[in-house]
Formats: sequence, C-alpha cells, structure tokens
Amino acid sequence: MRILVYGSGQLASGVVRELLEDATEIVVLGHERSELERLSSYGKVSGVLLDEPVMHDYFREAGITTADVFLALSTDDHDNLLAAQIAQRLFEVPNVVCHVENPQLQVIYATLDGARDLTVISYSVGILQDIRFAVNTR
Amino acid sequence: MFVVIVGCSEVGFFLSRALAATGHEVAVIEREPHRYQLLTENMGMVSMLGDGADSDVLRGAGVERADAVVALTGVDATNLVICQLVKHISQKTRTVTLVKDPKNEPVFDLMGVDVAVNLIHLALVALEAGVPGQPLRHLMTFQQPGMELVSVSVPVGADIVGKRLDELQLPPNSFISLIVKKGQASPPSGQIVVEADDELVAVSSIGDEQVLYDILTGV
Repeated sequence: MRILVYGSGQLASGVVRELLEDATEIVVLGHERSELERLSSYGKVSGVLLDEPVMHDYFREAGITTADVFLALSTDDHDNLLAAQIAQRLFEVPNVVCHVENPQLQVIYATLDGARDLTVISYSVGILQDIRFAVNTR
Repeated sequence: MFVVIVGCSEVGFFLSRALAATGHEVAVIEREPHRYQLLTENMGMVSMLGDGADSDVLRGAGVERADAVVALTGVDATNLVICQLVKHISQKTRTVTLVKDPKNEPVFDLMGVDVAVNLIHLALVALEAGVPGQPLRHLMTFQQPGMELVSVSVPVGADIVGKRLDELQLPPNSFISLIVKKGQASPPSGQIVVEADDELVAVSSIGDEQVLYDILTGV
C-alpha cells in the first residue's frame, strides 16, 4: 500500500510513524525541511518539500497517480480540503482522508454532495484508530 | 442583482464599486477590522465584519437570497471552501472566484464552483493577442479538466512543412482540430499537406503545449 501524506507537522509526522507497518511506501509532502529529513530516516518514507505554490506538480512528483491512500493532515483546514479534493476528483486516489479542525466544517464536509466519498476526521483521542480504520477498510 | 463579495482587498473593492455603480445591490464580508472600518466609514459600503469561510457569517450576509457570491480572499483553498459553503447553504446561488494556480481551475469546476476566473489565463490570452508574432496562442480551456485548445502558426522552414497531417507524430491526447490556409478553414483530413503560415488549431493536454509546439514549429 502506497500512502501519500500531505503535511509535516505534529499530527502528520505522528501518524506516519504509526502507519509504517501498514504501508509499503509513504511519501510525505510538507513545508518543514528538518521534519521531512527526520521522517525520511525511516526506511519506507521519503519526503517532498513544498516550497512553491504548485500543489499539482508536487502531487505528481510524489507519485499520486499510483497512491492507494491520500491523507490530508496539514495544520490548515482549507489547504487540507483543497488538497484532498484534488487527490479525489482529479487524480482519483481510491481512499482519501481529510483532517478538519473546525467543527462546523467537519459537519458540512461529512455530508457535502460533492465530497461524499471524502473521509473527514478530526483531532481526538481516537484519531489514530480512525485513520487506521479509514486506511484499511476500502 | 444582489451580490455578496467575500474579501474586500483591492479587487473586491473595485468590483463592488463597479457593481454598485451599475445599480446592483452589493454586500461585502471583510475579516480585517481596520479594512472593514475603512470600507464602512469612508466608502459607505454595506459591509460585514467576519470570516467569510464561516457559514453563519455567510448566512448573516444574506447569501440565501443572493444571486451570486464572489470569493476574493486571495487564497485558492479558502475561496474553494467559501464557494462550497455557499452551495451547501443555497444550491441556487451562483458561486464565482478567482483562481491563482491555473491548474486549480478545472478542479474548481468539478467541486461546485460555478465560475472560476483564471487570471493567468486571461492575462496570457491578452498578452498573446496584444503582442504580434506569438506563434502559440491559448484559445480556451474545456470544462473537462486538463485539456485546452491552442492555435499555432507554422513558421517558414519548420520540419512539418510539406508533410501530410496524418504523418504528424503528436503527443498522446493531442490532435489537430482545424487547419486554416490563407483565410480558408477546413476540417483536418489526413491528406492535407502542411505549408508555412498555415494556422493549426489543436486540442492539447495542459502541460503538453511545449511538446506540441516543438513538434509543430521545430526546424
């Protein structure tokens, strides 16, 4: 299973370490160079540094067309929602999970017509179980 | 008509003023208190202080009865969320936004944005029209993402001069859709021989324009 992770903050890097067993390969896209380097020291993980506003090009560089799972876990809700919907609608990644912090957006996007197949998750005690469940049940 | 504008920086300001001047009803949502104060007190605009990416704020500004909402926050991701929230509140309200990254335009179309204005594309088209001798012109992008219509005039001495159309090796998903010879347009039958100064209208995958251009004009 190839997993793409959008974001390299605390949540994203925590999740990457937990998913090492489930994945054959993990590519992390993020703005934090030192964190990407640190994560890349795990065998299956590689990083793509986002330093220009060209999301689509970085997604291709990360091999999104052959990804099984896309996790949008950056610290910005709007960026996550855009990235997740690009992954889902344009690149047709089979399993897309999107972290949303704002409770109002969580509710709306969980039921939004255009985003029906998007799995919306939120920060909670059970977030790792939620992600693992979403990743393994498609 | 009644238009709600979200984000009133320069573009939003001039757009709302132009709309108001032509008799339309305009309401503005602005997040910055300082800017909001300027708009209401000095400019006399109907403004609301708040985050336009919040559905309560959008409802408060009256998007349910608005004919259109224009998202102009300057951030593609935020503009998308605003348009999707508006559609969630009211299906019939038209959503309009400016996209910065041209690659987001077709994606926005898929995601419930009615009109995604692609500034870069508009600038490019104007530039190509205004600067003579540009051999590749972008004519339009399709609703279907990733494809566009371009036009190339064949330079004197290009490799393809003298070849038949069915001999051209084009990138995958690219093809000639029209050939114009001395003011005479015709459908691209394979037997037609390419001459210098012919105008070729082609469908191209976005990103493949350069490859296509090199094939059609290479010497």
